[in-house]
Amino acid sequence: MLKHINFKNIFKPVLVLAIFLSFFLGKAYAEPSYGGHLRVGIPKFPTSLDAHLGRSGWDAYYWRQITDHLVDADRGLKPRAESSLAESWEFSENPDALTLTLRKGVTFHDGTNFDADAVKFNIDRILDAKTAATPRAAFTIITSVDVLSSHKVRFNLSRPWGSGLAMLADRGGTMNSPAAILKLGEDYGWNAVSTGPFKIKEVVSGSHIHFVRNENYWGKDKDGNRLPYLDEVTVRVVKDPSVLTASLRSGEIDLAYAPHKDAKAFKEDSNFNHFSMEAGKMQLIVIFNLAKAPVDNIYLRKAITHSIDPNFINKALYFGENTVADSGMWPTGAWAHDPNVARPHYDPKKVKEFLKQGGKPNGFEFSVVSFGSMKPALEIIQAQLAQNGIKMNIDILSGSAINAAMYKEGKYAMAATSWSRYPEPDWIGSLMYKSDGYYNAGKLPNPELDALLEKGASLTDVEERKKVYKEVNSYVLDQSWVVPIIYQTFTAVAPKKVKGLETLTMHDGKMNFRLISMD
Amino acid sequence: MRTYIINRLLQIVPVTIIVTFLVHALMWTVPGDPVYAFIGIEASLDEEQLDILRKKHHLDQPIIIQYFFWFKDVLHGEFGRSTTNGMKVFDELSMRAPVTFQLGICAFLFAVIVSVPAGIISAVYRGRGPDHLATFFSIGAVAIPDFWLGIIGILLFGVSLGWLPTQGYVNPFENPIEGLRHMILPAFALGCTSCALIMRQTRSAMLEVLAQDYIRTARSKGLFEARIVLVHALRNSLLPVVTILGLQTGRIFASAIVVETLFGMPGIGQFMVEGVFGRDFKVVQGSVLLMASMVLVCNLVTDILYAWLDPRIKYDG
Repeated sequence: MLKHINFKNIFKPVLVLAIFLSFFLGKAYAEPSYGGHLRVGIPKFPTSLDAHLGRSGWDAYYWRQITDHLVDADRGLKPRAESSLAESWEFSENPDALTLTLRKGVTFHDGTNFDADAVKFNIDRILDAKTAATPRAAFTIITSVDVLSSHKVRFNLSRPWGSGLAMLADRGGTMNSPAAILKLGEDYGWNAVSTGPFKIKEVVSGSHIHFVRNENYWGKDKDGNRLPYLDEVTVRVVKDPSVLTASLRSGEIDLAYAPHKDAKAFKEDSNFNHFSMEAGKMQLIVIFNLAKAPVDNIYLRKAITHSIDPNFINKALYFGENTVADSGMWPTGAWAHDPNVARPHYDPKKVKEFLKQGGKPNGFEFSVVSFGSMKPALEIIQAQLAQNGIKMNIDILSGSAINAAMYKEGKYAMAATSWSRYPEPDWIGSLMYKSDGYYNAGKLPNPELDALLEKGASLTDVEERKKVYKEVNSYVLDQSWVVPIIYQTFTAVAPKKVKGLETLTMHDGKMNFRLISMD
Repeated sequence: MRTYIINRLLQIVPVTIIVTFLVHALMWTVPGDPVYAFIGIEASLDEEQLDILRKKHHLDQPIIIQYFFWFKDVLHGEFGRSTTNGMKVFDELSMRAPVTFQLGICAFLFAVIVSVPAGIISAVYRGRGPDHLATFFSIGAVAIPDFWLGIIGILLFGVSLGWLPTQGYVNPFENPIEGLRHMILPAFALGCTSCALIMRQTRSAMLEVLAQDYIRTARSKGLFEARIVLVHALRNSLLPVVTILGLQTGRIFASAIVVETLFGMPGIGQFMVEGVFGRDFKVVQGSVLLMASMVLVCNLVTDILYAWLDPRIKYDG
C-alpha cells in the first residue's frame, strides 16, 4: 500500500498548508484583543485634569490617559521617539536651544491640529506666572519659544538643559488644545482636551472619571496595531484599603495597586495577575532643617538616622512588602540610582559615638512635623530613638501647614514625609538641595553644592551626569540631610482577563492604560 | 402658626450668616498661609505665582472683607470656585446634595421603620425575650462605629455573598434597581446608630405612657390591646421620639461624611471634609450654608410635628 503513496505529492500541499496556517495563526496571535471596559481603583481624586494646573502627584493617574508627552520616556527615563509627540530633537549651543521636530497628523480630541503654534501656546502658558502652572519652576530655563515651521519649534534656553528631555516627559511636556483653553477658560481643568489615547466622557467629582477611546489616536504598538486596545476606562476613587481589596475580589474593580496587607494574598492567588515596581514611591523620608538646633549639628542628625531600624518598620507597618532604602532620593530603576553609595544605616553602637561627638551623650529633644498617615511610622521611630535617650515630639499637621511651618518658616527640626517617584535627579536636586530650593528647610547658602547641581542640570551626557549626581547623593546622605528610609513597592493586581500589566507603570510609578487589554 | 413658620424661616438668614462667618473665621485660626493649602504639599510654586493666587482669592485682605466678598457673591447666586481644584461650588453642591439627601433619607427611614416598632415591642414585652433581644441589638448598634459596620457589610454582602455592590452611587431616577442596591449598605451603616437611639427612646416613652391611668381605663373598657398600644399610647409617646428624630437629622448628615468616603459616594460630606483639609474657603462656606439651612429646616419641621402630635401646643409667632 505504502508503495503507491507518492510522498512528494503529499509533502507539497502539507507544506503549503503549514505556511498558510502559520501565517494566519501567527497573525491572529499578534492581533491584540480590542474592546473592554477597565475599572481601576485609586485612593485619590485629581486636583485637575489639566496636567499643567494639577497640584498632586495622584493627578497623573488621570491626565496621563488623555495626554501624550512632547518627549516620552521608558521606565528608566530613556527618551523614546516612537511614542513621543516630537519625532526628533536636537540640542544646540551658543546660544543654547532645544529644537523639536513635531509629529505630523496628530490632532487634539476637539479635532484641531497639533502643531508648533500649539506647542508655543502651551509653553508660554506655563511660563506666564498668572497661569500659576505647577511645572513653571522647571521651565523657567526657557527664555522664549520660536515657531520655525508648522511642525518645528525651538526653545531658546538660558543655559544648557541636561534635564530637559526628562522634564518634557513629565506634566510640563503634555499638550493642551489652545482652542479648548480659549473657549472654556476656567472650566478647562475638568474638560481637558489633549492628544492622548483616551478622551474624557464623564467627571463625577469625588467619585470617578470615565474615559473612552480616542478613535483618532495616532499611536501604535510595536507590531503596528492601533492604540489603545480598551474601549473605556473608569478610574474610581476608593479610599479605604479594605474596601479596595473587597472591590477587587468582588469584581467591581479590575485593577489597583494592592494594599500592603493584602499584596501577598493577591500574589499567591491564581485568579489574579500581578506586577511589582520597586521604589514606585518614596514611602518614608526624613528631612532635616540644617539651620535649626539641635539638628544643625551633623553628629546629632547622624545619631537620629542611625537609630532608625527600617527593617522593623517595613515588617511592622508594611508587612515586609516594601524595600529598605539602599540609596538616596534617586529611586531604584532610575539611571541615577546608586546602591553602592555610603548612607546612614541602623547601628545603635555608632549612635552612642555620634551623641558624644555631638556634645549630647545623654540624648536630646527635638520636634518632627508630619501628616496623619505618617503617625504610626513616627511612633515606631520615636520608640527607637528613645532607646538612645533621644526624645522626639511628634506634631501632626495638614500638608499645607507642614509646607508653611517646615519649609517657609523653618519652625521644625525634622519633617517626615512620603514623595512621588522622580527619576530625573535635577527635579529633587533643584527643589530640595539648592540653597534657595523650595523644600530646603534651612536655606543655608552652599555655593559648592549649587554649582554641582547646576552642572548636573546642564550636562546632556547621561554618564557624565551620573558622576555629578553620585557626588550630590553621597554628600546629602553623608550629611544625614534628606534620608529615605523605605521605598514603596507598587504591586499592581488584576484578574487574569486583564493583560499587559508589565506595561502599566511609567517612569514615575503612575499608571498608563494605553497598552492594557482585556480578554 | 403661619406667622410662626414665617418667623422661623426668617431666622434662618441671620443664623446662617453667623454660622458661615464663624466657620470662615475658624478656618483662619489654622496656622500657616492658606495659599499653601490650595497648592498642596507636592506643588512648588514660586512667590510670584503665590502672590497672584493670594490676590485672586482676596487672601491679602482682612477676614471681614474676604467674608464680605463671599457673601456679596452668594447674594448674586454665585458661590465661586473651589480654590484647590477650580470646580464651581454651586454646581458641585447641586450635584452632591441629592446624593447626601438620598443617603440621609434612606438611613432615616431605615432607622424609623426598624426602631419604632422595635421600641413598641420592647415596651409591650418589657423584661421578656423580645425586650432583651431588642436591647442587645440596640446596645450593639450604638457601640459599633458606622465605618466598621460598613466594612463588615461590604465583606459579607459584597464579597462573600456577592449580593450588593461595595462602591459608588447610581442615580435612582436613571436606574431604580441599581440605585436601590447601591443605597442599601450605606443606609444600613449610617442608620444603625440612630436606629438604636430611637428604639431606646420609643421604648422608654411607651413604658411611661402605658403606665398612665387612661391606658388602664381603656383596658378596663375592653378595648383591643393592639388598638390601645398603636392608637392611644403610641401617639402620646411620639413627642420625645420626634425630638430625638430631629436631633438625629444633624447626626446623620455629620456621619454621612464617613459613610460617603467608605462607599465612594460623591456627597456633600466628603466634599466639605476635603475643603477643610485644603482650606478651601468657598467649598467649606457653601457646604456649611447648605447643611446649616437643612438642619434648621429639619428643626422647624420637628416643631411643626409637635403641634400636630399634641394639639395643646400652640405657636403664636
